[in-house]
Amino acid sequence: MKSSLIVSLLLASGLMAADYSKVVEQPDASEIIKKDLLGPVTTYKMPADCITDDAKAIARGAYIFHNLNGDKAKGDLPEGLSKKNPDGKAKQYGNCVACHNIEGAKGAGNIGPDLHAYHANFIKTGARDNAFVFQKIADARVDNADTKMTINLTTKLFNEREICDITSYIVSIKK
Amino acid sequence: MKKSIKIALALLLASNVAMASDQFSMSEADKAMYAEMLENNPADIMIESGSELLEANVGGNAGLAKFLKVSEDELPKMIASFPRYMEEFKMVVGLDQMLQGAMSANGHKPFTLKSKEMFEMSSYVKSIANGEPMSIDIHANKHMEEAYALGEKTFAQKRGGRGLSCMSCHSPDAIGMLLRTQGLPDLGAPETKAAATWPAYRMTKSALTTLQKRFQGCMENALLAVIPLGSKEMVGLEVYVTEKSKGHTIAIPGLKR
Ligand code: HEC
Ligand code: HEC
Repeated sequence: MKSSLIVSLLLASGLMAADYSKVVEQPDASEIIKKDLLGPVTTYKMPADCITDDAKAIARGAYIFHNLNGDKAKGDLPEGLSKKNPDGKAKQYGNCVACHNIEGAKGAGNIGPDLHAYHANFIKTGARDNAFVFQKIADARVDNADTKMTINLTTKLFNEREICDITSYIVSIKK
Repeated sequence: MKKSIKIALALLLASNVAMASDQFSMSEADKAMYAEMLENNPADIMIESGSELLEANVGGNAGLAKFLKVSEDELPKMIASFPRYMEEFKMVVGLDQMLQGAMSANGHKPFTLKSKEMFEMSSYVKSIANGEPMSIDIHANKHMEEAYALGEKTFAQKRGGRGLSCMSCHSPDAIGMLLRTQGLPDLGAPETKAAATWPAYRMTKSALTTLQKRFQGCMENALLAVIPLGSKEMVGLEVYVTEKSKGHTIAIPGLKR
């Protein structure tokens, strides 16, 4: 006999005080959340050969910046980048345009600062350097614990080289 | 126009909206259609089917009132106060979980929380409270206080592939900013009043969607691991978000992008 039926029979016969705690679905989520939590704030050292003017690296950085994932990505896939992870699932990209405007952005959001002419406005003026940009993308919490910016290296969403490609794209001089 | 034809038309239009607004927010044409659809919400038939399911499984409004130990007149007010702690469940429950108990009390195997049947039946039940102000009481007892606190914590917990939390996009200072082309809504404002307008027909999914299911949508989009319907944390989130809509008039089914 199904346990729910037993419970209701017992209830109907008045043998048991109503207790529905066993009838109700209450799946555990705490384990799922625990495994999913963000690791501690991490300061990274930018690799020596990180920033490059290699057009292919910049193209990969741009592609990651402007696209959400391998399934939704538009335009030609740059050399050295995949649309899928080894497990066959769509590779996630940065979707940075969701929050940042930049040269050539389509439908950009405004939650983060506008990154147009970043080289002229921030790097050349000395307001920022490459390492700052690298760290900001890797783990933005170092100088802003409450940031709304995504965390990209501590979460292992991207590897160091990919962060370097994205950084190279942002600090590059655009046409 | 016959109601069934109107509904078919609305459904057809809805699938177009789904395609058009995937990338961009509503155009003027979309807005006009939205107004039209609000008059003929495609979810109306699903609510009707939910009413039949309640009849068959709980004895309709009268059976539900009996289960909740209130008169039929008091039923709308009672429903407007969910999620709430119920002694017979020994926990804070949403309407859907309460209905699992009510089905069982009536000798029926409860619908699962994620089933179409439960979505329809619980949506109908919430619509019984249409016109009532949301009246959740997070100070009613320590269970409600704990559920609220867990919801608040879960709302602020950064996690997932991008290290985001609900707060990243739904904190007071994020409201009105643009994510891609979508404005970030104030979940408690009169024009959104999320808890009073979900379950809703979600045009981008062409489906009746509950509040907890909507939370799962944001988790999926923002790469947070999706947690199951009915879990303590989900009910906590529902309590937390419902408190923001407290006092606002319930209007089910809503119609959302
Ligand atoms: C959900 C919103 C959001 C997304 C997505 C996002 N950012 Fe940001 N970003 C922000 C916010 C907000 C700031 C400013 C606050 C801060 O610095 O913490 C910021 C700051 C930055 C800065 C520092 C700018 C400066 O000079 O101060 C850079 C560089 C940056 N983001 C790059 C990126 C890249 C690259 C991506 C994608 C991999 C990305 N962002 C995705 C919200 C976002
Ligand atoms: C990366 C940004 C982002 C994150 C993170 C996020 N949301 Fe959202 N949320 C949005 C946007 C954008 C919308 C509006 C979408 C639309 O208009 O269709 C939205 C809509 C909603 C709505 C529906 C509002 C209405 O129209 O009634 C609810 C409820 C909601 N979010 C809850 C949550 C919860 C709970 C979490 C955390 C588990 C969360 N969100 C995380 C961006 C986000």
